[in-house]
Amino acid sequence: MAQTIRVVVNGRTVERSVPERMLLVDFIRDELGLTGTHQGCTYEGVCGACTVHLNGEAVKSCMMLAVQADGEEITTIEGLARDGALHPVQKAFNEHHALQCGYCTSGMIMNAVDFLRTTPAPTEAEIRHALIGNICRCTGYQNIVAAVAAAAAAMRARAAE
Amino acid sequence: MYPRPIGEYHRPASLHEALQLAGSGRGGAIYIAGGMSLMQALKSRVAEAERLIDLNHIAELRGIAEEDGGLTIGAMTRHRDLAAQAGRLGAYEAIADAAAHVGDRQVRNRGTIGGSLSWNYVAACLPTVALGCGAVVRSVGTSGERVETPIDAFQKGALTTALEEGEIVTAIHFPRAPAGAGSAYRKWGIVHDALPVIGVCVHVQTADGRITGGRFAVTGLADGPARSARAEAQMAQGFAATDAAAISACAAAAAEELSPPGDAWVSADYKKELIAQLGREMLALAAARATGG
Repeated sequence: MAQTIRVVVNGRTVERSVPERMLLVDFIRDELGLTGTHQGCTYEGVCGACTVHLNGEAVKSCMMLAVQADGEEITTIEGLARDGALHPVQKAFNEHHALQCGYCTSGMIMNAVDFLRTTPAPTEAEIRHALIGNICRCTGYQNIVAAVAAAAAAMRARAAE
Repeated sequence: MYPRPIGEYHRPASLHEALQLAGSGRGGAIYIAGGMSLMQALKSRVAEAERLIDLNHIAELRGIAEEDGGLTIGAMTRHRDLAAQAGRLGAYEAIADAAAHVGDRQVRNRGTIGGSLSWNYVAACLPTVALGCGAVVRSVGTSGERVETPIDAFQKGALTTALEEGEIVTAIHFPRAPAGAGSAYRKWGIVHDALPVIGVCVHVQTADGRITGGRFAVTGLADGPARSARAEAQMAQGFAATDAAAISACAAAAAEELSPPGDAWVSADYKKELIAQLGREMLALAAARATGG
């Protein structure tokens, strides 16, 4: 029992035959080898580490089946950089030391990128509210919030140029 | 946490096609909406899908529309889209109150109002708002017959609804409210935006600055959301929309009537206090919205 699906992942169309029950996170990691998307909570849907973009919107990839992504566009952490330059959110995470062990980081960044697309000038409270679905067990939230705020400012400055 | 093998996955483009798939007489069909509850059930193997029918590509099930002065929300409308309506829902602001705090951003990007009502979890926000606001659930069965069910008859207790096998919720209708109506919803959970330990939705009617009636619904109870007859009786008797003592008494009556037992995390007394406090706050907020205050 398998279906053939075609998914645009990070701008490239991939075609695979997958079992119906395969989770999207496993398709991304095991079928495509894109291991930047992490599993933190063994598929319980509570940690946010597996967050990717489905047609530009942040979703947890353990909460969907791979077959549901047929015909859709998926972006993972590997697809954020442009022409070798890190995305402003990635850059801000680096500059603000917004990671310790790094396990939650890709999910945090994918969620933050979608958040800043819809909320380009967030308050600190809005940033904290936006990140509820992403757990950091190193408790490094202060720097994560600072990085998202800095990325927002950098993106606004760039948009104003 | 991994699903049992799924026999078939179907992605109908129309309601008609979805109903045909479900009604093929083979049984074992499960609809998936946003999947934010169902995927958990499939992964923990509480639920099993011989045939999974995905409703995410049926355009006619999405959207928010005014209808005869009321509001009709397509079943596949996502929490994110409802939250974005804050300030534009008139007598039904409680919908946006609830939708803005379901789970987290990722959940709100996928989860739907129709899915939430169909699942009818004991601690869920949108079913409570639908009950508090007196919504009507529109559905269609595999025979093609369209049905309208008042929310009180639709909700049948924990994880149970009036839906029959193969029936799909198509929309939730919030009837035209007279002038001077308002609503509000808030929950309290163990962590921010978590499933509610207690959530309260209040819908009030006002006239000349007085509450003249309304509905008072609570979630976090053992058998799913329920209304407080005692609180609603006090609202029907009437009191000034800014009468803090009367508002407190009304909420206290609800707490006394519906108070659920404690659990491992929250004592019975604490839950009672939550109903009283959230009830006061939501009555006052709904009344303020209703009177333009």
